[in-house]
Amino acid sequence: MTPHTSVTADERTVLADLTELLARLMEDEYGLDDIEIGPDTTFNRDLELESIDLVTLAGLLQERYGDRVNFAEFLAGMEFDEIIELTVGRLVEYVVASLHAAEAS
Amino acid sequence: MAMVDTGAVRLHVQRIGPRDGRPATATVVLVHGLLTDSLASYYFTVAPAFAAAGLDVVMYDLRGHGRSARPADGYTLDDNVDDLEALLDRLAVTGPVHLVGNSYGGTVAFGYAARHPERAASVTLIESEPATPAWAVKLGGILDRVVTQLAHNETDAIAWITAHRGHNTARLARGAARLARDTTLGRDIPASRVLTEEQITAVRCPVLGVYGGDSDLAELAPWLEASLPDCRTVVIPGHEHSVLVEAAPAVGGHVLALVREAERAGAEVR
Repeated sequence: MTPHTSVTADERTVLADLTELLARLMEDEYGLDDIEIGPDTTFNRDLELESIDLVTLAGLLQERYGDRVNFAEFLAGMEFDEIIELTVGRLVEYVVASLHAAEAS
Repeated sequence: MAMVDTGAVRLHVQRIGPRDGRPATATVVLVHGLLTDSLASYYFTVAPAFAAAGLDVVMYDLRGHGRSARPADGYTLDDNVDDLEALLDRLAVTGPVHLVGNSYGGTVAFGYAARHPERAASVTLIESEPATPAWAVKLGGILDRVVTQLAHNETDAIAWITAHRGHNTARLARGAARLARDTTLGRDIPASRVLTEEQITAVRCPVLGVYGGDSDLAELAPWLEASLPDCRTVVIPGHEHSVLVEAAPAVGGHVLALVREAERAGAEVR
């Protein structure tokens, strides 16, 4: 996990984006509007998201970033245990890397 | 999120295709299993590879499951096949499709193929079987346990599951208990009309059975091959009923091989 002190401007922006998307999802699906979300937050244990919620999140990411970020492919490449342990910070890293790759190509 | 109103129920649908804008070579329809399952079991496993292989991939949540609507009743196998038929109609998917079903989803997929043999290009049954009288009895037993032990004695049952199977399984079990309590699913499925032998053998398209080597269902493989005109089965060692999610690359590879072969054979016939 990247320490907070060294996050790049990119990562801060993406973290802010994801925090907003996740807050929206938690409110829409579970009526929760006071969720604290940070880089160490896990989707499974902390947010208690079910796999169908991650499909919804994939749709929100698609709306926000278009085809540059493919959340389904990201998770399809992971072992089950990695998905269980997935943190918001890990997704931030993936989104930033995907956006950079799209810029470079 | 795409919701499709079939006329009877609003279903949550996800559809993905080749990313580079190539036209899809065929349509594959993925049907998930009962109670704890949803289209997510495909979305994060085999679906991306299917789309990358050039297929139009249609996934949906069965009524009562995932993000689809949860009517209080209408959960027989025929209701589920009606939903699938209406959904493909609404999506204007008219040609033959490759059907893939996991567990109960395979029974639904096979039910669709039996009702419309001309619309099935292939069927893959993952840890699944056609609806026979023995199937209905087995499902009746499983659903009876869910309804009586889980839904009606939830606190104790969930405590036991949390202690012995962990937090995740307990959360899934709570969802299953809600579905069983809120709907007639537990009564409807065992009461479903099953298929006759003639209806089963009328499915002449290529059928693939995929089973986990450690699953009780693996013993169905010889029966399935003997019962259908064009059927092969694969047993994946070291897995049980969750073989789709646990061994997604292997399962997906077998499905893609079947689809490609069926498409080639279809092209020769045409």
